[in-house]
Amino acid sequence: MARAIWSGSISFGMVSIPVKLYGATETKDISFNLLHSTCGTRVKQVRWCPTDDVEVPWSETVRGYEYAKGEYVTLTDEDFEQLPLASRHIIDLTAFVSETEIDPVYYERSYYLAPDERAEKPYALLLKAMERKGLTALATITIRKKEQLCAIRPKDGAIVLETLYYPDEVRASEVNLDGAKVTDRELDMAFTLIELLRKPFEPEEYHDTYREALAQLIEAKLEGRAVVKAPAARDAKVIDLADALRKSVEAARKGGKAKPAAKPPARRPARAARRTRKVS
Amino acid sequence: MAKRRAKSEARDVLDQLAAPEDRVTLSVDGHDLPVTSLEKPLWPGAGRRKGATKRDLLIYLTRVAPYLLPHLADRPIFVTRFPDGVTGKSFFQKHWEPAPAFARTVRIHSSQNDSDGDYLICENLATLLWLGQMAGLELHAWFSRVNPEPDASGRSRKFTGSEAALERSILNYPDFIVFDLDPYVYSGKEGRGEEPELHRRAFTRTRGLALRIREILEGLGLVTYIKTSGRTGLHLYLPIVRDLDFDAARSVAETIARHVQRERPKDVTVEWSVRRRTGKIFFDFNQNSRGKSLAVPYSPRRHAAGTVSMPITWDELERVYPTDFTLHSAPGRLEAQGDVWAGMLESRQDLGELLGVGSAR
Repeated sequence: MARAIWSGSISFGMVSIPVKLYGATETKDISFNLLHSTCGTRVKQVRWCPTDDVEVPWSETVRGYEYAKGEYVTLTDEDFEQLPLASRHIIDLTAFVSETEIDPVYYERSYYLAPDERAEKPYALLLKAMERKGLTALATITIRKKEQLCAIRPKDGAIVLETLYYPDEVRASEVNLDGAKVTDRELDMAFTLIELLRKPFEPEEYHDTYREALAQLIEAKLEGRAVVKAPAARDAKVIDLADALRKSVEAARKGGKAKPAAKPPARRPARAARRTRKVS
Repeated sequence: MAKRRAKSEARDVLDQLAAPEDRVTLSVDGHDLPVTSLEKPLWPGAGRRKGATKRDLLIYLTRVAPYLLPHLADRPIFVTRFPDGVTGKSFFQKHWEPAPAFARTVRIHSSQNDSDGDYLICENLATLLWLGQMAGLELHAWFSRVNPEPDASGRSRKFTGSEAALERSILNYPDFIVFDLDPYVYSGKEGRGEEPELHRRAFTRTRGLALRIREILEGLGLVTYIKTSGRTGLHLYLPIVRDLDFDAARSVAETIARHVQRERPKDVTVEWSVRRRTGKIFFDFNQNSRGKSLAVPYSPRRHAAGTVSMPITWDELERVYPTDFTLHSAPGRLEAQGDVWAGMLESRQDLGELLGVGSAR
């Protein structure tokens, strides 16, 4: 099974069911890297400060919230740690609703909940009870420091957790049909048409034809045509560690020399200067 | 000769500790050392591992002293004291004024309050037991020593007066570069704000990282030593000839840390923020600083089971788990197997020469 992205427990009245969370869906879009078109090297993104004209390391970055154009309030890690996060490793079931009550627009991402060792029994109990009653549970869960509303429902013998958008994240529709009058005759024609296309939902019938065409194109290119290869000499991934260490020691020593306190000119005994290996 | 004397001294102390009284005045190498509350539980125990009292601690320290004291020689130490046991409050003690007659101290400048203060150096059983009596459970020692012999004779031994004097002194030259691997992989059972507890999955990942670091250093011709931290992590020590100061040692550790972090971005972090460390193994290269310390080999730790930091061989790493080594089990292992870190300082390696940057002097 894939790697669990979260572990904790479902809290359901007096019962606590230890579970792990696995992604239920994945997108299979083909992804690309951006290359420099003249030499084929993978382009590096640089965090750049236009004021100081320097590259900015992560350690010098801080999150800023733009509350007015060009005006920021900054938030530190400590600030974030202060935020209340009650349901840290707990999925707290708060209510049960009928499964048809939640409009699909609220569904964000789907995950499978799998029972931990020895939690199969209470897990199965919750699953069966929801199945029989046709119910979905509402709960909260904290994933990656963000508390989210979620729905928990039975699906094909497993419990699925759907993260939900909060109501203020769902936009109101701006469709206005006041000027469109529909006659009964037109409606009958529409019914006939719909009836012709009516069939059960079989997702296996549908493929991502764009992705298939793209994969074919890539394969064709690999078969000898127009393959761009990054120049090996400039492969930034190959790091000569010894060289990096040499530079780091040299830099540290230079730093040392810049200090007012010079090192004493004493000599070390020649024997100890040799690099010795442990013999055992 | 000295060894035989130490042995009979240890036997003598163990006999005195066997008395049923809750308080007793020990005679250790001619010094009187009153010890009290011997039945006070300091470790509650965990699962099948039984807890330990202050008497157990003093017996442990006496039995491991021959293996532990060499690692403390010439090093300023600090201890974490747990007067009410590991489940109670703890505090860190650095300065000792006045220390008893049998304890050696060294005066060192502190930049924090810009004055000189006395640090303890624990070189005999009496000092060790005195620390035990004060429930000084976790023993931390500097990575540098006050003695320039044998590999750095000529370096200054003046540690007082100013930061600059201390920086010029031998205390600014560590005996080893340390790689402190600390898994921030939570078991899911910790309360909010608590540190991750020990669990198999996190330890397996930390072990994998330790083996990778060893492989990298071996590729450079370097021999590394390993011990369990006694809590959740692993400590790797690379003994070096003392001509790299702490700044250089830290920058070597940082280069290695960033190298493995690039190799295994999902596994390794060098981030300071606990939030960003979560789910990864924290490679703390900043430990390589003057005045910083790790728990010394064989130091008891605050884990409920009474685990100790245990030097192990690389072959053993696959098989062992931190809770294998407790106050109760460690002395038997040492008496049977000896100190697997013995002779470590004799195998110090000349990094400057290896890297082709020559010696600093």
